[in-house]
Amino acid sequence: MTADTLDPLIHVPARLQIVATLAALPDGDALSFTRLQEMIGLTPGNLITHLRKLEDADYLTSEKTGNGPASRTSVALTHHGRAALDAYTETLRGLLNGL
Amino acid sequence: MQGTSDRGKTETYEDQGGLDPREAARLLAQTQRQAERELDFRSPWLSLLAAAAALVAFGSVWLSVRGQHPYKYPTVVGLLGLYAVVAIRIGSVLYAHRRATAGVSGRSVRQTRAEGVALGVALLAVYVVMGALAHAGASDGVVYGVYVVTATMLVLGTFAAARSAVREDWHELGLSIAIVLVAAGSAFAGPRGVWLSNAVGLCVVLLAYGAAQAWQLRGSRPAA
Repeated sequence: MTADTLDPLIHVPARLQIVATLAALPDGDALSFTRLQEMIGLTPGNLITHLRKLEDADYLTSEKTGNGPASRTSVALTHHGRAALDAYTETLRGLLNGL
Repeated sequence: MQGTSDRGKTETYEDQGGLDPREAARLLAQTQRQAERELDFRSPWLSLLAAAAALVAFGSVWLSVRGQHPYKYPTVVGLLGLYAVVAIRIGSVLYAHRRATAGVSGRSVRQTRAEGVALGVALLAVYVVMGALAHAGASDGVVYGVYVVTATMLVLGTFAAARSAVREDWHELGLSIAIVLVAAGSAFAGPRGVWLSNAVGLCVVLLAYGAAQAWQLRGSRPAA
């Protein structure tokens, strides 16, 4: 087993942090964009870029509520995203055991 | 952990997969720990405050009733001490909870609201039954002593036990069961002793829980 077997979408520091942070929420919960940004410490632009990639892969969903300054975007991990993180963790464990 | 500005600069490098598996494992574990800690309102300090609150609240009532022969009911001063401490405790929990769950929405938020309503109704029922007991001619010692404190703590304890069992939170389940046992056992101490027994029992249980939390946090802290 090599590092190439790790899911390339998750195997990036920023996206690994995003997925791991969202996985800490109970199933069915979402986190606001602002709080996620605060917890991970990314710039808004950088966070949007990574979120878009994860959303395109169906690893997470985002929902915008309200209009104007009161609008709020929430992101949540999908079942597919949670399964992908589990698989990533398993692969990582296998890799580290082999080292 | 990298700073915000570094991340922007290393975007291309990141997307090329330049992450060592060992580094990835370390980052994953650290992020999970940090997220769990930030999203959880409970802390050793909050448990310590709860232990002090239990000791002062029930202790102040015990001081106001210990000389009553026969037992009547807690004095206004005793009850003021109780309510003030309970208000501080509720305020501190709400503050910590709001801070931890800021930005969180979805199922768990709806569940917590529904649980709050259920707990409120259960506590209200305790006081309705207290009125019914007084109306039926039960003694002051039973109504305003043994019953009110025991029933309140049993409701709070069993509610927390059911909630933590559903969430598979075994540490909190242990704490809830201990609270139920303290409350049930304290009922044998009589109308005056029930206040002191709950004060000391709950304080000890909450201190032990706080120590266990601190130990757990210490154990999960990453090595420097």
